[in-house]
Parts: sequence; C-alpha cells; structure tokens
Amino acid sequence: MAGSSRLTSVSDWLRPQQNRMIVLLVLAGVAMLIPLVVNNYVLEVLTNAWFYTILCLGLNIVVGYAGLLDLGYAAFFAVGAYTTGILTSKFGVNFWLTIPVAVSCSMLAGLIIGGPTLRLRSDYLAIVTLGFGEIVRIIARNLDITGGASGLIGIDRPSIFGLELSRGIHFYYVFLLLAILACFVSYRLQNSRLGRAWQYVREDEDAAEAMGIGRVAVKLYAYVIGAMFGGVAGCFFAVKMTAISPETFTFSQSVLILLGVVLGGMGKIPGVIIGAFALVLFPEVFRGLGSMRMLIFGIVMLVIMLYRPEGIWPQKQREM
Amino acid sequence: MSNLDIILQQLANGLILGSFYALVALGYTMVYGIIKLLNFAHGDLYMVGGFVGFLVLSLISGLMGSSWAGILCSMVFSMLAVGLLGVIIQRIAYVPMLRAPRLSILITALAVSMVLSNGVMAITDGEYLAFNTDLGYEGLDLGNVFISYTQLVLVVSASLLMIILYLFVHKTLYGKAMRAIAIDQDACRLMGINVNRIIALTFFIGSSLAAAAGVMAGVYYGSLHFFMGFVIGLKAFTAAVIGGIGSIPGAMLGGLVLGLLEAFGTQIPFIGSEWKDVFSFGLLILLLIFKPTGLLGKTEIERM
Amino acid sequence: MITKQVKAIAVGILASLLIVGQGWAADVKIGIMVPTTGSEATAGKDMENAIKLAVDEINKSGGVLGKNIVTITGDDGCDPQMATAAASKLVSNDVVGVVGGYCSGATLPTLKIYGDAGIPFVVAAANSTKLIDANPGTAFQINSTGFDQVNSAVALFKEKGVKKLAIVNQGDGYSEDLARLTKEKWTGMGNEVVAYAVVNKGEQDQSSLVTLIKSKRPDAVFWTAYYSDGALLIKQLRQAGYHKLIAVGDGSNSPKLLEIAGKAAEGVYCFSNPTADYLPAAGDFIKNYKARYHQAPDAYGPLAYDGMKLMADAITRAGSTDKAAIVKALKETKDFNGITGAISFTDKNTLAKSNFVVLIARGGKWMLNK
Repeated sequence: MAGSSRLTSVSDWLRPQQNRMIVLLVLAGVAMLIPLVVNNYVLEVLTNAWFYTILCLGLNIVVGYAGLLDLGYAAFFAVGAYTTGILTSKFGVNFWLTIPVAVSCSMLAGLIIGGPTLRLRSDYLAIVTLGFGEIVRIIARNLDITGGASGLIGIDRPSIFGLELSRGIHFYYVFLLLAILACFVSYRLQNSRLGRAWQYVREDEDAAEAMGIGRVAVKLYAYVIGAMFGGVAGCFFAVKMTAISPETFTFSQSVLILLGVVLGGMGKIPGVIIGAFALVLFPEVFRGLGSMRMLIFGIVMLVIMLYRPEGIWPQKQREM
Repeated sequence: MSNLDIILQQLANGLILGSFYALVALGYTMVYGIIKLLNFAHGDLYMVGGFVGFLVLSLISGLMGSSWAGILCSMVFSMLAVGLLGVIIQRIAYVPMLRAPRLSILITALAVSMVLSNGVMAITDGEYLAFNTDLGYEGLDLGNVFISYTQLVLVVSASLLMIILYLFVHKTLYGKAMRAIAIDQDACRLMGINVNRIIALTFFIGSSLAAAAGVMAGVYYGSLHFFMGFVIGLKAFTAAVIGGIGSIPGAMLGGLVLGLLEAFGTQIPFIGSEWKDVFSFGLLILLLIFKPTGLLGKTEIERM
Repeated sequence: MITKQVKAIAVGILASLLIVGQGWAADVKIGIMVPTTGSEATAGKDMENAIKLAVDEINKSGGVLGKNIVTITGDDGCDPQMATAAASKLVSNDVVGVVGGYCSGATLPTLKIYGDAGIPFVVAAANSTKLIDANPGTAFQINSTGFDQVNSAVALFKEKGVKKLAIVNQGDGYSEDLARLTKEKWTGMGNEVVAYAVVNKGEQDQSSLVTLIKSKRPDAVFWTAYYSDGALLIKQLRQAGYHKLIAVGDGSNSPKLLEIAGKAAEGVYCFSNPTADYLPAAGDFIKNYKARYHQAPDAYGPLAYDGMKLMADAITRAGSTDKAAIVKALKETKDFNGITGAISFTDKNTLAKSNFVVLIARGGKWMLNK
C-alpha cells in the first residue's frame, strides 16, 4: 500500500539521531514562534493542546509504559488544581509556593490509591481507579473548602519577575514549556532502568518478578510519577482558568485523556502528542459535528484497537 | 411513619432496586466467569434495551395497548434484539482480542461502551424520552408501607428470570458446557465443545438480561436517557464483586445486598444522600483490596 | 519529499485554524456566546436565533450609529474549558460587546476574559449568584438572579402556609446554589428545613430518598435542579403517597417534565424566568420567531432577544463603539423597555426588579399561577 510505504520511508528517514534532532528543533522553533502570527483564539486552542499534551504524557507513563489501565486520571489533575486553588484563594499563599504542595498532594493521592490496589488484577484496578476518580469529584463537590458544587472562583493570576501572567500568550508559553519539560522527563524515563523495568512488567509480570523486579514497587513508581504530571498540569490549569469546579474532573475527562494516549500510540511520546492535539483540534475544526464528537472518537478508538493497536505513530524498529 | 414502618419501606425499596442491580450484575458475572473480560459496555446494553423496548412499545401500542401485554411483548423483543447485539459486539470487538494483552481488551470494551452510549445520544439528540405506559399507581397498602402492583410484577419477573437462568446453567447441557469453559477453555475444546458458540450464547443471555432490566426500568421510572447505563453499570459491577465475580448466585445476592445498603445508607444521618456514592465506591474499593473473591466467589490462583 | 508532506500538513492545519478565526471588516461587531453543541445545544441555539432576530430588526430600522450590526458566535459547549476558547475567539475578533451566557459554570471563567479586554457582556440567561462576585464590572445580568427566585419561592411557601420544608438539589453549581440560598432564607425566617438532600445526576431510583422525605413529614418539597431527574422525583413522591405541595426551580421549566412525570405533575408549582408564553409584550416576538425559524421560541429566547436590543440601545446612547462608553451606558440603563419587562441595574449590575413568575401544572401544561 502506498500509505504504509510512505510511512515506512518517514520512519526510515527518522531513524538516524541527527535527522530526528533536526525535526525536533524545527518543531520547537515553530511552536515558539507561532504566537507571533496567530490570533488569540488559535493561541487559546493551541494552549489547550499543550495542556492536554502534559496530561496525556502523564497518563502515558501509567498506561503506556507500565501497562496499567487508569480510568480516574482526572482525580490527580483535580487534586493539583484544587490544592493550588484553595491555597491561593482562601489562604493567600503565593502561587509558586503552592506548586510543591500541590504536586506532593497529588503524588500522595497516587500513593494512597496505588499502594493497596496495585496488587490487584488489572481489570479490578481499572474499576478501582474509576471509583477513586468519582470519589475525589464527589468529595470536591460536597466540601465547603472546595467551594461545593460551584467550585472555587477568583483564583489569582501569578506573576513572575514582576510580570503578571494574564494574557493568552503568557499561558501559551507556560504550557509549551511544561509540555517540553514533560516530553523530556518522559523521554529520560523511557530509557532509564525504571523504564525498562516497566516494559518488562508490562510484557510479562511473572517473569519480571522472577528476575528480581519488585513489580508492585515498579508499578507504584509509574503511578506516582503519572500523578505528579497531573498535579503540575492542575496547578497551572487553576490559575489559567481562575475558576475551577467539579464538573471539569468527571469520568468523561479521564476517558478523554486516555483517548489521547491510545489514539496516537500508547508508550510513544510523539504519538501521545499527536493524540493530544487531535483531541483538542478535532472539535474546533469540525464544529458542525459537535454532538457526534465522542461517537467519532469512540469509533476511531475501536478501530485503532482492532486494527492498529500500536496507534497512529509507527512502531519503533528497535525492539528489545 | 413509625421507625418500624420506615425500616420496612426501605427494605422494600432496597429489594426492588437490588433486583435491578442483580439482573444487570448477572451479565457481568457470566461474561467475566467465562472469558475473564470486564465488559464495560454491559451497562450500555441495559440502556439500549430500554430504548428498543420503548421503540417496540410505541409501534405496537396501537395493537396491544401500552399495558402489560404490550410491555411483555416489547420486553421479549428487546431481549432478543439486544441479545443479538451482544453477540455481534462479541464477534466484532472481543473475539479478535481474546489473545491480546488484557490492557488492550479493556480499552476495546471501553471504546464499545463509548460507541453505544454516544451513538444513542446522536440518535436521540441527547434528549430524555418519556416512557409512558397505562399502568396505574394502585398497590398494596400494608399500613404505612406501600408497594405498587408495578413494583410487585417487576420484582416477580426479575426473580423468575433469575430462576430460569439458574436452572439453565445448572440443569442443561449448555449450562454444563458454560461452567466447563469457565474452568478450562482449552480442555473443553479438546473434548469437542464448540467453545465459540457457547461464549456467544453467554453473551446473548447476559445481554438479554440487561435488556430486560432496561425495559423494566423504562416502565417503572418512566424516562430514558443515553447516559442511564453508566451509573447502573458501575453499581451492577459493584454488586457482582460483592457477591463474588464469576458466581451466578453471588451476583443475585450482591445485587440485593447493594440495593439494601443504598436504601438504608440514605437513612443514616451525617452520611446523607450526597455521600451515598462515596459510600458504595469506597465499599467496592475496600472489598477489592481485602476480599476480592466477594461473598460467594471461590479463591482462584491465576496469572494476570 | 518528507519535508513537503510535513509542510503541507502544517499549512493545512494553520489555514483551517485561521479561517475559523477570521472575522469581518467594518460594521459593529457583536459576539454571541452560547452553547451550540453539547447537552445544552437546544437552549443555546434558541438564544442564538433570538439574538439574530433582534439584530435583523435593528438593521432593518437603520442599525446603530448608522452602521449595521454583524454577529459572530462563540460556542461555549456549556463547558468551562470550551467557554474560555470561545471567549478568546470573540475577543480576538474585536467584538465591541457580547450577548449570551446560558450555563453559569461555563460563563463564570469568561467574565474575567471579557473584563480584561474591557468588553461589555450582557448575560442573558446564566443566573448563579456566583456570577455576581466574579463580575469584573463589565458584565450585566438581565435574568433575575438566584436571590430573586428564592424570594418568589419563599413567598409562595408562606402563602400556602408551609411550615416544614424539604429541599432537594442535584449537586451541580446551579441547583446547589439555589438550594443553599433557599435554606438560609427559610431558616433565617425562623422556619424549619426538615430534609436537605442531593440526588446524583442520572440516578433513576430515588425511592429511598422519597421514604426519608416522607418520614420527615414536610409541608412542601422544593426541587431546585433540572427537569429530567425532577420528573422522576415528582413521580416517585406521588407514587409513594406524598400529596402535599411540590415546587420546582426554573431549570425544571420544561414541557418534558410534564411529559415524563405524567399525571403525577398535576398541581406542581414552578418558578420561572419570563418565557414568551407568559409575556403580554412578546406577541410580535413569537410571531416573527415562528415565521423565521418554523418553531416556537424556547425558555430563554425572550431574554436573549432583550439582551441584544439592550446592547444596541446602549451603543446608541454611548454615541460610539468605545467599549468603556458602552459599559457606562449599560450601567446607566433606566427602565429599558424590553419584552421581558423593564430593565434597570443594581450597583452590582444585576437586574433591579425581579421578573420571576410562578407557574402551575394544569392538565399537562404549564399555566400562569393566579
């Protein structure tokens, strides 16, 4: 087929490290310069795409690297957003100081839910994470400190070196930098000792255990690091929106993030980025299809799982 | 109302709700028992069942009226149609995935669920449908406890379906084959059992039970919505786990236990209705951690 | 070859984004922000229709300041994230004002975006009291706020001799807000709230809650959320033999509630913003709307129509399309004669005089309660 041979030629060309660096640099340059030529609306959409890139990369560590299905990822994102929201709006804490707190809180949430449940069978784990996601949302809805069902409003915009981050372009660069950071961390993790342990556990858990890899500990790492990504994204989400409410952190949100991961290709960084962009750009470009959006996403996801479970991005040649 | 009246009324509420949960939980448990698949789309089959029943009832109400005769007829039709849908889903989406990693098959199941619920949403424009029947509000008034005839009929038919299922699984050859496949699929194949056909049969029965519950819910509550399968799907899964997933009597027991817990949970001060779901999901998580085999499940050691 | 492909794709994506983002030149540009997709698309499209109807009428009679009004729609999808994108889209198209706002949750984060750009925003439907606190001073709410609805509700309960009240909401921003305010007001008046409960969205079985409510013997049950689950609650309350007063909030003002609840809904009270059917001044509006769109206007059409007319009036009074001048003119609005009633604003930019009406279900229809 012409399409597949073309794809192969792309991946052939991309194999040498040098060529890959060129593409990366060009892409980074384009991403940096785009705000100079587009209007606020496009900027807002692209900011959103980078934001989802961070979330999808975080979930990718859990789903793609460690092979665990997490259906409550929005919970970690919620913990980060609410921690920052509460600390800044109710206690007047400086935004930058809330980041370590928020990240610790979401990592703690990852530990609490992951610790006892990662011994479970993977389908039980899916349900447990789903239940956990719902519990976090309902708690946020019922407590006074989280602003109840209407959520928190009036979260202050942060400033850096005297510059208040308030315009669209500021947040574009914030999320772009975070996304690049997320890519870098993901890339380093993928090729680390831990990354290989994840792959081993994902492919054959018992054999991995027999080789001396502590499977629960390794999975827990994936969980907590994934939660960390969600927490960071949540912090900046809270100050960008200035208002957060439980409606943002529903099961559908978790599914949407998972969709981004599956669409592009689980475990592959470029694939996950493409997935995140597809998620955000699709409804903006095909507005007429509004109510059919999730149906189309569902069908695409089904087709991908049946015919191309490795996702849109071509499979790596170098297999271990 | 005296305290005793409240207890009795909540008991009745819990049993009625529990029989819905049990019917849906049965499908989860049967499919899980036989191919170890957590069928996320099961709750959506319940929803589709409700819509098919509604469609049939509105088509035949001219002929048979929208009272019990019409309802029964639409329920049977909906069970057949959704049973077939279940088999089609199994053939298209699950058969190719049986040897795939568990993560892939779970995501596939999630995708099927998305397609079903959003497909119905696209067709109905996301609107609520009013499921109108000619059933009255009459019922048994036992002092302060009130049970309508509709509720009675629903509970009785749910119990009947469950008894038939129990007899089918334990007294017929097909049932024996199902139980055998749950234990060892490859050995069954060697013994000449048509494994694929039995698995399809399991999907058919599980899906049609969900459809029956969907039609009953439509009749009883009077409205249908594309999202109605989500909540009950989760609750029914919880019920299946409480009873011990894979066990048919366990699903029935689990449904009733969850129904009763929810009914009495509302009555507990300080927990109240807003914390009800935290209560049932928390219970599910604790149960999975400390007693994943549930009340009636057997301990099994297996590779993940 | 590869770079060509990549370039083509990149150009394609950028071009499609730019096309979406492009606007018109000259004229007076007004933004419409409503949900045209998603669960609330029906209401949003109705508002968009009503606003466009108003624009046509204004343009036919000479426009504003001698210029025509053109509109551009931002779809908020009733979702906070989509709403910020929609608001940025309108801002980057240099609109001089925005009319719309249906879902309170989605409208909330946009207030700051419009406020930062100094753009006047006439909020036609969204009426959570949270909007009042979040208002940077450029937004104007022409729908009565939750406070007004609470006053209508409490007045009705008093009139009907209610002592013990049960309040049920659905755990979302809008209905929780209304429930909490009602509870505060009712207990503040020395009365009793015997049950205060939440129904989880999409849960069909409310029998255990109904039993709980019945056991507390309230004189009235007030459902503050939307029609779909409200209909189920009404039905199950009546089936369980609760025969006293039931009232529902403006989110339940829909014929669907009566359809789903059937005869159980008979005699249920509903507090509502003024919908076209109950407005004596809306005759022409209904006629023109039907002629143009071949369907009857929905609940928030009249308010959206008034919002647009008010915006045009403010621009005329300001004498320019300067945003600050329009905000000032809106603030000085005195008894603007809309089809939903006279519009003036309080110092918090909310409607000075409540326009809430009380409806009652009779024979499967909502009627004005007299």
